[in-house]
Amino acid sequence: MKTHFLFPNKYKKFGWILFVPSLLAGLILFISGFDFGDFLKLKVFAFYNDNYIFLSENKFFTIIENGVLDEILIVLIIVGAILISFSKTKNEDEFISKIRYESLVWATYLNFILMIIATLVIYGFEYFNVLLANVFAMLLFFIIRFHFMIYKLNKSSNDEE
Amino acid sequence: MKNNLKVLRAIKNISQEDLAKEIQVSRQTINAMEKGKYAPSTILALKLARFFEKTVDEIFTLDETD
Repeated sequence: MKTHFLFPNKYKKFGWILFVPSLLAGLILFISGFDFGDFLKLKVFAFYNDNYIFLSENKFFTIIENGVLDEILIVLIIVGAILISFSKTKNEDEFISKIRYESLVWATYLNFILMIIATLVIYGFEYFNVLLANVFAMLLFFIIRFHFMIYKLNKSSNDEE
Repeated sequence: MKNNLKVLRAIKNISQEDLAKEIQVSRQTINAMEKGKYAPSTILALKLARFFEKTVDEIFTLDETD
């Protein structure tokens, strides 16, 4: 079957390799209160920088020093999650595409329902963490739902024979 | 939509797995169609019809809810 916008199946593996270690490392460091700002400091280009410590006037197009580990982890997690989500399964066909579509709709609803709830009940700086989690939450919900549905199907069609 | 895929498959004595390979879909798709959980695309319906040497009408029929 012709599929649009999906990666070949072999990329799924790379997705898992990028996603799982990066997510685990990110979570562990984040929970342990690791100071990302002071680790792996490099000069980076900033399209916009709003650092309240320096209050410099030139906020656009500046070169700043920044601990880059958090940026690297976020990029790896997103790329990994995208590859897992949107690489073809081994036997991608129209029925799998339907499950893919339904899982995506489901994940979108869940994501934004949680987002609305969080917006209404979480205040202060903690809301920044909600937004941070929201960077990967939808893809994560999709991955879980899609693979769970495929697993359920495999199980029910194995029981048949 | 109802179908008699399971019967046709039994007559031809072919497993879900082999039928899936024959018409290039996943086994889950054959399984879901037989259970009435999935209505195939026109292309897939025509492929099944060609394989079983039937017309699409002879395999798939509308039911009251359609």
